[in-house]
Amino acid sequence: MATSSHLEEGIDVTSGARVLECVVVTPEETAIQTPAQFIALPLFDGEIGIAPGRAPMIGRLGYGEMRIREGGNLYRYYVDGGFVEVVGNMVSILTQRAIPADQLDEAEIEAALSDAKKKPANSPETMAIRDRAVAQASGQRWVARRER
Amino acid sequence: MANARALDKRRKSIKNIRKITRTMELIATARFKQAMDRASAATAYTNRVTGLVANLANTGMELSHPLLESRDNPRTSLQLVLTSNRGLCGGYNGNVLRLASDNQQQLADEFPTSLMEVSGKRGVTYFENRQTALAETFLQFEDKPKYEEVEQIANRYLDAYATGMIDRLDVCYTKFSSIARQEATVETLLPLGTLVDGPGDLEQGSEGQGEIEFLPSAESILQEVVPMSFKVKLFKCFLDAAVSEQVARMVAMKSATENADELIRELSMTYNRARQGQITGELLEVMGGVEALKN
Repeated sequence: MATSSHLEEGIDVTSGARVLECVVVTPEETAIQTPAQFIALPLFDGEIGIAPGRAPMIGRLGYGEMRIREGGNLYRYYVDGGFVEVVGNMVSILTQRAIPADQLDEAEIEAALSDAKKKPANSPETMAIRDRAVAQASGQRWVARRER
Repeated sequence: MANARALDKRRKSIKNIRKITRTMELIATARFKQAMDRASAATAYTNRVTGLVANLANTGMELSHPLLESRDNPRTSLQLVLTSNRGLCGGYNGNVLRLASDNQQQLADEFPTSLMEVSGKRGVTYFENRQTALAETFLQFEDKPKYEEVEQIANRYLDAYATGMIDRLDVCYTKFSSIARQEATVETLLPLGTLVDGPGDLEQGSEGQGEIEFLPSAESILQEVVPMSFKVKLFKCFLDAAVSEQVARMVAMKSATENADELIRELSMTYNRARQGQITGELLEVMGGVEALKN
């Protein structure tokens, strides 16, 4: 499993034999199940990188880009909130949706974003609802734009 | 004695109907398997969410969230009824609709306003015939409800609950417990009550893996896990309803096919008897003619 990608992400090559087992679960299906050398995830308050040997953790995901590096390949997805759980070398990602970055439609996202911005925000509850919709749409836009 | 040709005609039409019911049975079986796979995928997700909640509970944190607590003076209730778009599935729709009507009656007694939303053409026509006002109807759910579509509905409910538009959400659907057992049930999804179903679930979280780090914080994760488990629960209701519908259709069509077999057998017997009777009659006529010519 030891490939050049370990060095790229700055992982100690001596532990190159250790790989993460990455499982992405959505309510409809197990979307991805793959070994991985490195996973980058959008947490609620910033990005996190997970390399083999990470201490156990549970994190709340935001809306943004997930990158899975497996061998020489880099897979990019948009994840729509949810959680990540790291136990040992097992990384479980629970999310509502995991959309491959190249399947995002930018025109559609723009429309959703402007819709979200027009939502009423005259009380704390409605503001939270609007902020969430805006965060989702702008997260998608960010992932879609990087694809170009 | 019945006319042999008329009997044959009837037998042919029953044979055609049998072909149709048999095909529908096979289709329902195939769809049931697919729906079942989807339901078990959702169960995997739910289990992981439960495990997560168990980990949260192990930190000794108090699990409290606005969605978990019932309100003091509730005003509006909402009932969502899940029925099928198509018929020919035995008592499936009837059971759900009967229970839904009863429950709606109860809700109307408890709450000043009680709304109702219905998914499935069967339910919509049922309530339309009874002149019950429906707040919303959905016809897009077939045997494979999409999470995205359910999520939209779930989000609308969450928003309505957060802003105080509704104070309680009941879902009336057919719960799938096993292939031989599906029951129409009413579940209150908002307020959610508890996150974990039983105390037994709390045990599995502590597998001696040491301290778990929560990012950004355990509270923040709780904020997200509660709406999420609501959405998954609602999605599970839709999936259960879809699976149960297929099972109900499978069973109904199986008995229809068996019934057709029975009818065909009986008709064949009557037909053969009638034909034999006809032949005997003709033979007698011929022999009578021969006898007459001899003399």
